[in-house]
Amino acid sequence: MAENILVIGGGPAGLHAAIELAELGVNVSLVERDTFFGGNPKKFKYKYLFPDLQPAENVIGELIKGAESNNNIKKYLSANIESFKEDGKKFSAVIKSSTGSETKTFDSVIVATGFEHFDPAKDSKYSYQLFDDVIDIKDLERMMGEGNFTRPSNGKPPKNVAIILCVGSRDRHVGNQYCSRVCCTVSVKQAIELKEHFPETEVYIFYMDIRTYGFYEDLYWKAMEEHDVQIVKGRVAEITSGPDNTVICKGEDTLLRGPFEIPFDMVVLASGMEGGPQSPEMADKLGIELDEHGFLKQANVTLSPFKSNKDGIFLAGACTGPKAIADAIVEGGAAAMDAYIYAKKNS
Amino acid sequence: MEYDENGVSIVSNDFKKEIFEEAKKDFRYEEYVRGCLNCGVCTGGCPPHRFFDFSPRMVLQNCKSNDPALVWGMMDEYVWACFQCFTCAMICPFLNNPGGVIAILREISVRRGFESAKKVLKPYSRVLLKLTAYGNQLSPDMIQPDFFPDWGPHIGYASEDLPLKRKAIPMPTLQVTNLAWDVAPEAMKELYTIFEEAGVFKIIEVVDPSLYEIIQDIVDDVRSE
Repeated sequence: MAENILVIGGGPAGLHAAIELAELGVNVSLVERDTFFGGNPKKFKYKYLFPDLQPAENVIGELIKGAESNNNIKKYLSANIESFKEDGKKFSAVIKSSTGSETKTFDSVIVATGFEHFDPAKDSKYSYQLFDDVIDIKDLERMMGEGNFTRPSNGKPPKNVAIILCVGSRDRHVGNQYCSRVCCTVSVKQAIELKEHFPETEVYIFYMDIRTYGFYEDLYWKAMEEHDVQIVKGRVAEITSGPDNTVICKGEDTLLRGPFEIPFDMVVLASGMEGGPQSPEMADKLGIELDEHGFLKQANVTLSPFKSNKDGIFLAGACTGPKAIADAIVEGGAAAMDAYIYAKKNS
Repeated sequence: MEYDENGVSIVSNDFKKEIFEEAKKDFRYEEYVRGCLNCGVCTGGCPPHRFFDFSPRMVLQNCKSNDPALVWGMMDEYVWACFQCFTCAMICPFLNNPGGVIAILREISVRRGFESAKKVLKPYSRVLLKLTAYGNQLSPDMIQPDFFPDWGPHIGYASEDLPLKRKAIPMPTLQVTNLAWDVAPEAMKELYTIFEEAGVFKIIEVVDPSLYEIIQDIVDDVRSE
């Protein structure tokens, strides 16, 4: 008899895990809270993915197609886990969706509930939601996905754009001490895209550190060498309204110019990643642990990063911490292997 | 006192070390000085940074350097440029408090009666006198053009005919100009006890001995009443 495995979350990690398990002949139940699969990349219409700037649609579309066309995957949309309990080595879950409630028994479970974008309105110094022309990376990503690179306030091309890194990350005041890992790379990528679209636009990146790790280093070299993006060391302290429908970024250029107050046509906040309300909800429902940063806790960060503290429940993707889509997909596959081994042993 | 080319008073290395150790021993120091990666958000938001050569980022960096000479370099003019608005503490992502460090250094400067502290506190002697002797911070007769240039061109008018203007205020004003409100002798005596216990009188004795004598005379008078 085939194994039954529950995958919670239909983003990059969950989709890949479901497909891999289905390929092994496992009966997969894929539960997604939204009305669609694809997770945040789909929800916020990510346009291009770093490092090679391939269209996000190619990656996410491929995963969705793979899951949808596989008959071993039972798909639940607009669904949630209504109740969950252990049943010996197995698990019993009630899945509630638009078609009603269904009680099922599973040999193992993969949690891939992902992350939430930090809401920059929580940090008042950035005046997000106060000025139309202050947006964040997910807003810009969606705008670019819709082919729109213009200022939200008047629909005109921006003369200059400021990109501010580490918004909602590495900041004890907002409660997120960690680095969100991808925002630097996404921001530099967006700077290049902006410059490619509007070569005349001046683009500034204000940084505390630029963490385009590994091969992504190439991106900011490209941004500086091919597009003359200004990369300035200094975190912005305040955003206020300026003359001629501009917004003023106030801060200190700690290496060159000292204090600055520059009017910009558009400001893009590189807001980071958070565990979101779904992480504590999952921890509570499934009886697994939450870490001090608000993400789901790995049993052993180095040795068993895809295991939760509870046998038979596995973790994949950004629910255990900020990471890139490529990493989330890798983790989906790895967690699928762990979940399959557990199910095989105990079924 | 001799000064170097940066206007910093010349003292021995041992003395610089002693001052730095005194700052570090303060119970608040550990809480105020944490990590710093030079992001500059504190200085970017610092109001005096727009007007003076003062940077909360440098305050933090000087402390983190563990170099007593760098900390001593701030003791003369530098620490007095801070507005004590604590914007830096409000926005530092590490939860550092450069303004708090300034408070610690200023207190050392006052306790030890450094020249810079005496100089900076001189204009406040009228306020100190009023406060410590009468329990009032500011009274109408202190409003004089010389002392309030920041009030602008109308300070002249504001300082004239005070008894008459006082009568026009539709609330009890004691009908005097040397007090803002009436403080009962009992309250004043309690205030003196607090100042004594908290070491306020001692600090005044260090930074302004003649003011201290005037205040003590008043204190003795009130106490003997």
